[in-house]
Amino acid sequence: MNTREMDQHQIVEGLKNHNPDTIDEFVHHFSRPLFGVILNYTKNPSDAEEILQDTLLKIIRKIETFREESDIWPWIKRIAVNNSIMWLRKYRAARERETQLDDSMPHFTNDGQYVNPPWGWSVDPEEVMLNRELAGELYDAIQALPFEYRMPLVLRDIEGYSIKQISSLLSLKEPTTKTRIHRARLSVREKLSHYFEDGI
Amino acid sequence: MRTTITCRDCVDLLMEYIDHTLEPAAQTRLDEHLASCPPCIHFLKTYKKCTEFSGQLRDQKVQIPQELESRLQSFLKQEIQKPPEEPGTQKKSHAHSRR
Repeated sequence: MNTREMDQHQIVEGLKNHNPDTIDEFVHHFSRPLFGVILNYTKNPSDAEEILQDTLLKIIRKIETFREESDIWPWIKRIAVNNSIMWLRKYRAARERETQLDDSMPHFTNDGQYVNPPWGWSVDPEEVMLNRELAGELYDAIQALPFEYRMPLVLRDIEGYSIKQISSLLSLKEPTTKTRIHRARLSVREKLSHYFEDGI
Repeated sequence: MRTTITCRDCVDLLMEYIDHTLEPAAQTRLDEHLASCPPCIHFLKTYKKCTEFSGQLRDQKVQIPQELESRLQSFLKQEIQKPPEEPGTQKKSHAHSRR
């Protein structure tokens, strides 16, 4: 995300002064990338729109605290991520039943061998590329995860946060964070396994 | 005594394996297991590939309707005229016609 098209200093000053033209330009410039960030946390468009709106308002309200010597996009994105987590925790998480992902684990015999060994596939997984269809399936697989697994996975694998940062953001112990990410990955892998088997 | 790693152990340790956070002894034992277990190699590759794919979702391009952009602009210009609400009293969206 670059702010070349609009001078960062102008944005910050304009938002501080509640300049209407700056607000229009700010929304035009940032709402689309912010919507992309937020959609990683929820695929419900209505929720995403509300979070986007709330995030934009928070950014304007907090603009006085932004340190101008740094790039504004990471600061804005951090507010969007924090806001997405807070919002979904408040309005959605309670409605989602705590779910275990045991079904996504491969099945093993008593001596720890695969019941159905994942081999004999027609293509090397490393050669599978992310096309539009696969990206859609991946996105759906992530969004199908229960909230408590989806959040750590998105923060780790999409946003690139550290285990420590995720644990702090979600108020989890680090081993719990790791377990949830691992189980979420296993679930996503299981849902996409036909791509690796069929070599699409 | 040296214990043998099973395929189940291998799957359990994959996250730490790709993050390079395993103890050296466990890393060695897992490497040895992987060297002689094609199913686990496949499992490792697909597991790792999924995490890489997820990272590529970061740069997804999305579109938003012009109508939403206009509503957001109007809403924000209206909202900033009001004093900030006290924490805990903030209401949910006002700009969305469907709620």
